[in-house]
Amino acid sequence: MTEKVHVPTSSFAEELAAIPGGEVVNKCIQCGICTASCAVARYTDEYRPRQLIQKILLGEREEVLKSRLPWLCMTCRLCEERCQEGVSPAEVFHAVRILAAREGYVPPEFRRVMDSLLNNGWLLADSYTDFEEEEREDMGLDPDLGWNDKFLKRIKDLLPIAEGEK
Amino acid sequence: MREILLYRGCTTPVRLPAYELATMNVLKELGVKAIPMKDVTCCGAQFVESLSPDAFAVIGGRILALAEDEEMDILTLCGACSGSLKITKHNLDNDPGLRRKVNDTLAEEGLKYTGKTRVLHLLQILAQEIGYDEIERHIVRPYNGLKIAAHYGCHVTRPFEIVQVDDPENPTIIDRLAEIAGAEAVDYPGKTRCCGGPMLAMDTTVATKIGQEKIFNVGLVGANVILTACEFCDLQLTQCQFDEAIKPSKRIPVMPITQFLGAAMGIDEERLGFEMNRISPDSVLEALQEGR
Ligand code: SF4
Ligand code: SF4
Repeated sequence: MTEKVHVPTSSFAEELAAIPGGEVVNKCIQCGICTASCAVARYTDEYRPRQLIQKILLGEREEVLKSRLPWLCMTCRLCEERCQEGVSPAEVFHAVRILAAREGYVPPEFRRVMDSLLNNGWLLADSYTDFEEEEREDMGLDPDLGWNDKFLKRIKDLLPIAEGEK
Repeated sequence: MREILLYRGCTTPVRLPAYELATMNVLKELGVKAIPMKDVTCCGAQFVESLSPDAFAVIGGRILALAEDEEMDILTLCGACSGSLKITKHNLDNDPGLRRKVNDTLAEEGLKYTGKTRVLHLLQILAQEIGYDEIERHIVRPYNGLKIAAHYGCHVTRPFEIVQVDDPENPTIIDRLAEIAGAEAVDYPGKTRCCGGPMLAMDTTVATKIGQEKIFNVGLVGANVILTACEFCDLQLTQCQFDEAIKPSKRIPVMPITQFLGAAMGIDEERLGFEMNRISPDSVLEALQEGR
């Protein structure tokens, strides 16, 4: 048996383990290879994947769920490729985001994109102006992109964000 | 001619239509007709993906089911679209409960996911479906004395267990394709690192710095052009060079692999959309040799 290094103050890690991708968090040995390979960590002062995982292991549930940090992961998975213990910080933070979203903590940047996505079915509807349409026509490409704008509205109950203003 | 459905994603048709154009024309030359998919939605990458696994599965499941209906495979240009559709396929193929839920929703439109359709990123079509030898036969104006730096795109190659494109720590497809076209592929520090694109949603300053680090590393080894296989990476690695940290004279051209190959295959420049490139591709095109 390995020695227990973390003494959690809540069952947060177990809660995350129930979300696909979150189950690996307990294997982390806090070596810091992820932080060392992370580009976001290199250019921000606050984002440190190892440290964020430590907070999860220590059971800092509210702090982690309300934090912007899990939303800064680019899911580039370089850390996952390098982690010797089979932990994927990208997957762990993905599980955190899902849990956070369920409790209504979604950063405004994501919320705004989701609104437009639900309305239009795709991300760049507001940027697709006559100018871009003409550009496509000039290139011999079909200007009618044919996006479906109904399906996402139909399934919006599946998205925690659609429930109300938070 | 073989046919494949092209899932264009949200960004390419609006912000980098030259990638769409060049890909369709290069594939056509190589005997593959790419037919743009319609009536689809965004694949849900990053945004829906972060919020709800069920919504993400049903969104990707619908795109896959539409392709099944046409009995065709899907070609993706974008790393994020490629990743999401492949992850969704993986989840649906391995979780019968999830598949049942998704199919209940899809049934309202008479659609059904069974798992027949494959999702192939552009690099897979080129390297695995068409093959290096066949592509080599089409090179009529090889590059001469040109150094390229390949940027693969994280979501194109990772996680390997699911996407199955190329070795994630030592990818080679773009390098080999460029060499077939006569160029010299050079390695650079941080080759498999992210372009910073996904960070644009949360912090553009950090995103720009991450992109510029790549430009700096590519410059160090003296590469003349950066080749991409994802419009997000292409746009990000271009955009980050329009910033005071990089002198205009130091900008390195960035282009999708299909534009680069197309020129060496003798396809007209306007059928590859070169006039739309923000950083002039002239220095690259000048390295093309006539005839072979
Ligand atoms: S996630 Fe992996 S790389 Fe990061 S600290 Fe834990 S064990 Fe080390
Ligand atoms: S996946 Fe996230 S934590 Fe890991 S290296 Fe990339 S940005 Fe950093």
